[in-house]
Amino acid sequence: MLKYILKRLVYVAFVFFIISIIMFVLYKFVPGDPALMMIDSSKQNVDPVRFEQMYQAARERLGLDKPLPIQYISWITNMLTGDFGYSSQYRMPVKDMVSAPLINTLQMNLASMVLVFLISIPLGIVTAVRKNGIFDNTVQVASVVGYSLPGFVIALLCIFAFAVKLPIFPISGVNTAGITGTSMEIFLDKMHHMALPVIVTTLSSIGMITRYVRGAMIDVLEMDYIRTARAKGLREKVVVYVHAFRNALIPIITIMTSWIVTLFSGSVVIERLFLWNGLGNVLYTALMQRDFMVVLTMQMFYVVLALVGNLIMDLTYCLVDPRVKLEN
Amino acid sequence: MSKQAKKKKSTFSLALKRMFLGDRGEVDIFTEEQMQGPLRTIIKNFISNKIALTGLVIFLSIFLSCFILPIFFPLDLTHQDVTQQNIQPGFSMLAVPKKLANNAAMIDGGATFGVGIDKDGAFYSWGHMDNRLKAVPNNMGKLVQVSAGLNHILALNEKGELFTWGYNRLRLDKIPLELKMVKDIKQIEAGYQISFVLDEGGRLYYWGNENIISISAGKYQGQIDKIASNTTTVMALLKDGSVVALTNKETPFATVPAELERNAVDIASTDTSAAAVTRDGRVVVWGSDEDVKAIPEEIQGKAIAVSGGRAHFTALTSDGQVVSWGANNYKQSNAPAAANGAEQISCGYYQNYAIHPDGSVTTWGLEGYLMGTDGFGRDIFTRLISGGRLTMTIGAIAVIIATIIGVIIGGISGYYGGKVDNFLMRFAEIVNAIPFLPFAMILSTILGNSVSEMGRIAIIMVILGALTWPSLARLTRGQILAEREKEFVTAAKAMGVKEMAIIFRHILPNVITQIIVSTTLSFATSMLTESSLSFLGFGIIEPTPTWGNMLTGSQSSTVISEYWWRWVFPSIALGLSTISINLIGDGLRDAIDPRSNDR
Repeated sequence: MLKYILKRLVYVAFVFFIISIIMFVLYKFVPGDPALMMIDSSKQNVDPVRFEQMYQAARERLGLDKPLPIQYISWITNMLTGDFGYSSQYRMPVKDMVSAPLINTLQMNLASMVLVFLISIPLGIVTAVRKNGIFDNTVQVASVVGYSLPGFVIALLCIFAFAVKLPIFPISGVNTAGITGTSMEIFLDKMHHMALPVIVTTLSSIGMITRYVRGAMIDVLEMDYIRTARAKGLREKVVVYVHAFRNALIPIITIMTSWIVTLFSGSVVIERLFLWNGLGNVLYTALMQRDFMVVLTMQMFYVVLALVGNLIMDLTYCLVDPRVKLEN
Repeated sequence: MSKQAKKKKSTFSLALKRMFLGDRGEVDIFTEEQMQGPLRTIIKNFISNKIALTGLVIFLSIFLSCFILPIFFPLDLTHQDVTQQNIQPGFSMLAVPKKLANNAAMIDGGATFGVGIDKDGAFYSWGHMDNRLKAVPNNMGKLVQVSAGLNHILALNEKGELFTWGYNRLRLDKIPLELKMVKDIKQIEAGYQISFVLDEGGRLYYWGNENIISISAGKYQGQIDKIASNTTTVMALLKDGSVVALTNKETPFATVPAELERNAVDIASTDTSAAAVTRDGRVVVWGSDEDVKAIPEEIQGKAIAVSGGRAHFTALTSDGQVVSWGANNYKQSNAPAAANGAEQISCGYYQNYAIHPDGSVTTWGLEGYLMGTDGFGRDIFTRLISGGRLTMTIGAIAVIIATIIGVIIGGISGYYGGKVDNFLMRFAEIVNAIPFLPFAMILSTILGNSVSEMGRIAIIMVILGALTWPSLARLTRGQILAEREKEFVTAAKAMGVKEMAIIFRHILPNVITQIIVSTTLSFATSMLTESSLSFLGFGIIEPTPTWGNMLTGSQSSTVISEYWWRWVFPSIALGLSTISINLIGDGLRDAIDPRSNDR
């Protein structure tokens, strides 16, 4: 087990470095000279000699005068030690800038994750058990519609229904502007703002997850050991929820993990739409403002998220199914 | 049923047939056996699946609409029109009320609506109007003149009283005090957020937004006989027959052709040009719009009146002929034969009205918009079909790119196995580990900034294709792994067929069906991704339409509640296409693998 984990970790680290090199090279292709942006370019015409000095100084400070491999090494070392660079847009270290959005994104995505789990797993199981019934067919049709519609269309429909026609939820933002009160009131206000984005995210993911759970369950329910379990006279509930569900977990975990990764990267659209101050919104404004240190950090965050997701997926396999061979 | 039983039954029925119908010769073994190739089975299964078939029909109709209709409704990318912003769907702009259409005395068209009075002086209005325009004042008495502007209306009754309503800023909704004294009003004109009144003595009064139109009428006051206004200038016909522009600014209108000196009888103007009719019936056009300078020859020497829309002119000749020319984007220059014999002509921004001596009305021009217009006054319908064509093309080409990469890498990886397989699959895993949307956004920002529109479209296709191949590669690999140990592969090897030919000509056709299903499903995903990117502003950017960027900016509550047509139609188009593609994909999968029907 330990050997397996170690092997996976080494592999993850390897992939991380490969992607970080790709990202770094891409970043170097970005039009615009960061050193030029740091200094006052109007001096160029007034005093060319002084300007050249300042420009070289800025390059030196940013480490741009060194060859690319050395620049990469210093960047990745900083990255790994938690120094993500300096945001040119907000004029503060990236690390301080992204902490609040990170919490917002985590809150929103965790809330929708819990909701999706709570709804789609029971729904998938029930539809698999009552395969081809009226309820099953209805859910099937609804789920095709759900996973075919893009998130922003669902969002527009939800805004129309729950913010315009029935003004239950606020249309955008994280908090009411200038809110004061006890921490409980602030918390409730945030939940109120969070409701609509969470509903939209949940609606747009639920269809796909339900279909996967259903498919996995149907495969398992046709197995011989299920027939055996029934023949033994076990109660149907035990057969479905203990014998069958446990065996259907592997495909479910696979899809859940990749879904969680897409959930985080896909929340760019939802956060942008609802002006939810999360990581997706930070990435969006950073790209718009050409704040590339932030972009790079965000990108590495998403990569780490994906890799950690894959690692956790592999490890959970061993936990839920002892048959999984660790050697491969 | 076993094969034996089937054969028995068919032999029996054959015997029966021969007994009663006589021998019709030897029946083909395939007819007798009811054998079907795998492709026919798939097609038969697919057709028997009602849901998938419905999906196919819906998708085909959307697809054909998007690829055929743009030929008939071409998109002009540069076209924008502030006067046509946010107009709701409908065709009411030429819907002259029946009572007026038999008894009309005067009609004038505004930006998106028309107003008219009948011979009894009653007021009528039609077209796209907001609530302020619908609030017609009571007790106006018998009206003798009426005029419609961009978004306000001016009316004059027989006692010389003026009424105005509609747009209420810039004091446009109030009649200035000095005009209460003036009783001998000759002409009223509602312009672009400005109102003009001309009295019999040749004096011009005006109020409203004077920032857009700079007017200096000073030296001509007292000599003016008729005025024509557009969004930038006011032209005046003087009592001596000369034409002048009432402005100090250098505009294309200011240099009036010399032949009009003391020689004009009627004037009109479009947005960027002006026209006048001379005493000998010739029409002269000047200004910066080249389209309207192609004056039809048949009216020269006979014209008696001219009227101008936003980019076209309509003229009336002494023998009652009505001719329109100029821009024809809304068919406003297609004067029908029924218009001939008219007594009066009048143009709205894109509408034309011809009033016959008996009071009947002939109309032509812009009736309205099937799906309304967006915030820049662009027709949503033409943008929707052109945008659909682009969205589908990008999705399809991206999928083709992804399929080619995926099949090649998956094929090689699956066939060779070992180190090659390991390396390629690790590579696919790395590409798969890169979170898609953020990375596509970054790539599009870095690569797509300094290129042309076509280049940008190509880059988006490549980005989408290059980031989505791993799942297809994995699928192909799995399928090929299963096939490569079969006898036909061994046979091909034994015959000395080259390895690449074995992979792509012998094994691939056996797994192609699975690949097609997967391709169909990723086509929908590709369209969705492109739309999300364009929606965020990192895909195809304005003014080139796609379904994604048509929805940009629709999340504000004003658009969602007031201008529903701006987001409902693109959403429906996008949603219907992806749903139908997914239904087709699901149906294909079921058709290929009937066992999966249960899933």
